[in-house]
Amino acid sequence: MSDKVTISIKRSDPSKGEAPHFVDYEVPTQEGMVVLDAVHYIGSNIDPTLSVRWNCKAARCGSCSAEVNGLPRLMCKTRVDKMGSRISIEPMRAYPVVKDLVTNVSHNWEVAKRIPPFTPKPDLPKPWRIAAIDITRSKEFRTCIECFLCQDVCHVIREHESNYLGPKHMVKVAALDMHPLDSIDRTGFLHTEGGVGFCNITKCCQNVCPEGIHITDNAIIPEKERVVNEFYDPIGILIHRRRQKK
Amino acid sequence: MIENRRRLNTLSELLEPNWRFWSLILILLLSAGALFLYPVSEYQGYVDPFYSPTVLVLPFIALFRLSCYAYRKDYHRHVFRHPMACLNDERMDSSKRKYSGETGFFALNNFHRYFFYIGLAILPFFYYDFYTSMVYQSGFFIFRLGSILLLANALLLTLWTISCHAFRHLIGGSVDCYSCLSHGTGVKKLFNGQSLLNRYHEQFAFVSLLVVVAVDLYIRALMAGWPVDFTFFRIAI
Repeated sequence: MSDKVTISIKRSDPSKGEAPHFVDYEVPTQEGMVVLDAVHYIGSNIDPTLSVRWNCKAARCGSCSAEVNGLPRLMCKTRVDKMGSRISIEPMRAYPVVKDLVTNVSHNWEVAKRIPPFTPKPDLPKPWRIAAIDITRSKEFRTCIECFLCQDVCHVIREHESNYLGPKHMVKVAALDMHPLDSIDRTGFLHTEGGVGFCNITKCCQNVCPEGIHITDNAIIPEKERVVNEFYDPIGILIHRRRQKK
Repeated sequence: MIENRRRLNTLSELLEPNWRFWSLILILLLSAGALFLYPVSEYQGYVDPFYSPTVLVLPFIALFRLSCYAYRKDYHRHVFRHPMACLNDERMDSSKRKYSGETGFFALNNFHRYFFYIGLAILPFFYYDFYTSMVYQSGFFIFRLGSILLLANALLLTLWTISCHAFRHLIGGSVDCYSCLSHGTGVKKLFNGQSLLNRYHEQFAFVSLLVVVAVDLYIRALMAGWPVDFTFFRIAI
């Protein structure tokens, strides 16, 4: 590993009308250094005006999301020695920039409000009990740290106008739908307002998830199959209607 | 350095799914040509996989492949470039290009499970071909290299078919409360087992197709007189 690494950061300040531009910084390297360490070094020793959002530095809070060498990653989980001698860091392109590497991800809270919330089955005896066998599937989705890397890498969210919720919110819907005590069927919502048909399963979201959630295989495709059951498969539609009558 | 790294990343992203998708197209074209111009349905007890059980099912198998989630990923990436790669510099997708995902024509992919039913119904015939290859001479049980290839073909096609996402949904993926079912533990175990296979669905899709072609070529090579028919044992029964 070389003694120094060049960190090329895309900087901008829309509040002052400053256009996005790359600035190069020479940073001395250390054993086990992560990209966030290098950004901190720049902020502490070279340019204190550099803005970055971070919190735990342990891949738990999901705050330090950025595009490192062109791919959305958590800066605190990306080792400098794996990225070459010149590393580019850009803010997430799917969101408006507040300043430098800080983006405004509040759009996600609006999307989250559109999802029908957890609604327990009526007359459940208290305290609520859930069998271990029923927990495992939705447990995977609970590990989501809301870093929004999957939303950022999703081409539907990033390049196209649609009503698609995005991978992170599909994970949320799947976690609610697969909850054994939940009473709402969100399939109709996904088919219409959720825009699930816009996902073309190219699996970039699954590739970038720092928690290793199988977003496409375990959340999106199962939800798509539920949509097929209710809206495309004649046999599935018959079974669904019969169940609803009961 | 960034350029080199990006080139490497792009190369690795391009190679794997590209090979799977373009090999499917190449194989569909070659097999269509071979089946119509040089048909070889059976030779010395070996039934060509393209003819098992009949060549008429091939269009449905092609549709089973084309509507498979593994291949959907490939052609959306490498034919329509929505996106070509996950890297921002290489994704080749833009807001200027029209995109409807699977809401327009590709909503037909939602009928994948019906092609899956056809695929599942055909599987036993491949095992029957394996059996036939060993007992095709009356009074003898013969075990040859071709039988091993036919068995490998049957097993890989089985793995690809039963690792399907549609099958996963049907055998337990649609259940939210396993403990509410009288046989819930069994359903969950079946679902978990299938999920293990499902992780390798893309790989099974690729390898199983290659083996189908390999068996077809092997039978054609035998017919052409190539000395590749190795017999391991021959027992009178």
